[in-house]
Amino acid sequence: MKNLPKSYPFAIIIAVIAILPVGVLFSLASDNTAFFDTRNITVLLNTLALMGLTVLGAVLIGVPLALLSAYVNLPLKRLWLILFAAPLAMPSYLGAFTLYFSFGRGGEIESLTGLTTPSLEGVWGAGLVMTLYTYPFVMMTTRSALLSLDASQINAARTLGLSLAASIWRIVLPRVVNSIAAGALLAALYALSDFGTPAIMGLDTFTRVIFVEYNAFGLSQAAMLSLQLMLIVVLILFIESQIRGAKERPGKHIQIHMHPAKSLSFVGLFSPVILMSLVLPLGIFTLWLLQEGAEGFDIAYAWNSAYASMLAAVVAVILAIPVAHAAIAGRVGRFFERITYFGFGVPGIVMGTALVYLGLQIPVLYQTLGLLVIAYVLRFLPLAVSTVRSTTENQDGGLVNAARVLGASPKEAFLRVTLPLTARGMIAGAALVFLEVMRELPATLMLGPTGFETLATYLWRVYEAGYFGRAAVPGLCLVFISGLGLILMLTGERKAEFSVNESQHS
Amino acid sequence: MQRRTFVQGLGLAGLAGGLGLLPGMSFANPANAVSVDSLPKLKGDLTLYLGRGEGGLYENVLEAIKKKNPGLNLQIRRGATAELANMLVAEAKAGVKRADLFWAVDTGSIGMITNQGLAKPLPDDVVNQLKPGFQYPMWSPVTGRIRTLPYNTERVRADQIPDSVMALADTDLKLGWAPAYASFQSFVTAMRILEGEKATANWLKGVNSKAKKYAGELGVVMGVERGEVDLGFANHYYTLRLKAGKPDAKVDIAYTKNDAGCLVNASGIISLTEGDLPINFIRYLLTKEVQSYLATEANEIPLVAGVAPPVGLTPLSSISPPDLDLRKLADIRPTLDLMRNVGVL
Repeated sequence: MKNLPKSYPFAIIIAVIAILPVGVLFSLASDNTAFFDTRNITVLLNTLALMGLTVLGAVLIGVPLALLSAYVNLPLKRLWLILFAAPLAMPSYLGAFTLYFSFGRGGEIESLTGLTTPSLEGVWGAGLVMTLYTYPFVMMTTRSALLSLDASQINAARTLGLSLAASIWRIVLPRVVNSIAAGALLAALYALSDFGTPAIMGLDTFTRVIFVEYNAFGLSQAAMLSLQLMLIVVLILFIESQIRGAKERPGKHIQIHMHPAKSLSFVGLFSPVILMSLVLPLGIFTLWLLQEGAEGFDIAYAWNSAYASMLAAVVAVILAIPVAHAAIAGRVGRFFERITYFGFGVPGIVMGTALVYLGLQIPVLYQTLGLLVIAYVLRFLPLAVSTVRSTTENQDGGLVNAARVLGASPKEAFLRVTLPLTARGMIAGAALVFLEVMRELPATLMLGPTGFETLATYLWRVYEAGYFGRAAVPGLCLVFISGLGLILMLTGERKAEFSVNESQHS
Repeated sequence: MQRRTFVQGLGLAGLAGGLGLLPGMSFANPANAVSVDSLPKLKGDLTLYLGRGEGGLYENVLEAIKKKNPGLNLQIRRGATAELANMLVAEAKAGVKRADLFWAVDTGSIGMITNQGLAKPLPDDVVNQLKPGFQYPMWSPVTGRIRTLPYNTERVRADQIPDSVMALADTDLKLGWAPAYASFQSFVTAMRILEGEKATANWLKGVNSKAKKYAGELGVVMGVERGEVDLGFANHYYTLRLKAGKPDAKVDIAYTKNDAGCLVNASGIISLTEGDLPINFIRYLLTKEVQSYLATEANEIPLVAGVAPPVGLTPLSSISPPDLDLRKLADIRPTLDLMRNVGVL
């Protein structure tokens, strides 16, 4: 017991807090007798199909983009990275909505250009939209792992005559498979918990059934269905935990030199992703803005969004550090880490309700910014944990040992070696949480202080009422501020790169 | 009669909205509706839970009330109506009280809160301001909305549309609906009450075989407009708002006669705190100015006796909503069971 990893006590406390909302679900569901309705089989199949398509799409887009942004000497590299990460800034329900009404007969594309496009709906439509808004998860987790890889193996492979593509496939990707899986897990959980996209695409998934029950005051039914959804979450978490990459020593950064025209043509290959996920929705908003005009927007909403997101991002990263370290330290720690993922798989409306019940136990906290930040952290902690964990995992344990041999205390070794080396993962995690909180809606509505309006709640308000024109300004604001968050994050990332290089030279 | 005259003018209401009429302007002869000026000033702290924001329109009303009453500290909490209703119940159970008023867009949530005994009674003079059929002791309707059949004007002629909603189960038209939407479920509840369980189940089965599902009724109306379906089921204001933004939209409204298909439902407000302040706030919502404003700008149906719909409307005698106690619409559980049993939900 003496050698229990130091991170365990913290990880246990965080895991217990993370599991509390699930406990509330159990107590809410206890009024309900029927466990599984056979009619839910279709719903289950739809949910699994949507999740599968999303993961597949997110990996197919996210991994190549991660390679491109991490290794290739692109002109305007930062700009492309920001653009490709930017779909994280767009609430997926708004994307789904604008895409749905752009494609198909009588859609906005047809009325503008006269070209009839195939309509976007059902499981394929929902899968496509989900892919567009979740591939950045895979891109970010994979990218941060790619950046810590040592180039010597790939150089050796190339010297021995392996082609570039083959050496990426055989030497690079197997080494970051755990990070790809971490991103895919986030995409899967997002697909499981999102309500708006399947609803707009007319696909019956668990979240839609939960929503219907919830709106009809079937709180216990909704809780029961959420618990069933949790079973899928458990399954996914188990599968992901079976995927392990090899331990890595960080080393020389990999660079792939390409002719600018060639590298830009790769970017061009992925430009439809940006066109559909970002340009099209924003274009449609602008069109509606011009048609209907905007009014009633207050810049304070943007400040509220940024402020709350920043708080949540900082708290999430601080809490993610012990959880990530516990996950690496041993199987028990790994288990605690898995528990913190539940929040991300629960539909926001259910999580919000559970937290209302919890918050009411502490009336001082109820309807304060504090409780809201706790809610954000509980929902989005996995985003920080997964990035921190994947960079920490790929770290050379020898460095800490060296520091210890040279007389550093464990604390000093952690502060001066481990922490700076995981800075990249922490910054990426903070950015992911920041972006996700920026577009979070249900918990903000249910748990925020009365009268606390953010960009997301304002967007929802005008969208609900059908005043799409007014969604343009807050929509643009959301993307702009999230872009700033991304730039900040990438600046921090570059600093982290320097510190690694310095440690190599010295 | 008032309801009919308003409905007649629905097509013009969008236009009037575009002109930006200010509250109190150009409305003819409000017989017994109270004017804002005759009401006492509101003073003190008041927290309102507002179900669904309805864009800037309810907001504009609330802003105007705040502006007129500088002594009023009005805090507004917004959310989906069912969400806020669940929250109010949870708060009551935990003994935490934050809201003084609950303004809900559907009668289901109203029924839930009044059934839980959280509502405070309204004085007679407030109740009596409302039109017959809309007078309730524990809550006050604010505005009405009517169930309609939006149809695509290029694919369907008005005379092809049956005037009985029940007949639509056998139609050749391609239909669009949003069964998960609260207003639609209220409509099915009304059908259950008026036509019985069996007829409703058959109707749902019939329509389900030829209908395309949408997430919400705005989606239905947009689907109708772009020709994905011929005819849909939706609250009236979605069509009017779509046409306000897109005047050449290929969509118009048809009504059924004297059945659930043209049910008039209401948004309503509940006082959760004893005292004059919440009651006086409700009085503000029932003034001729606010009622007229919501009629012109939000295309909602004024429910206070004597508030005229906007000038320029002529009566249309063919619209005849069914006579139904709105409180019965709160009984939504059997409706959901029925809808699930026939495979609609």
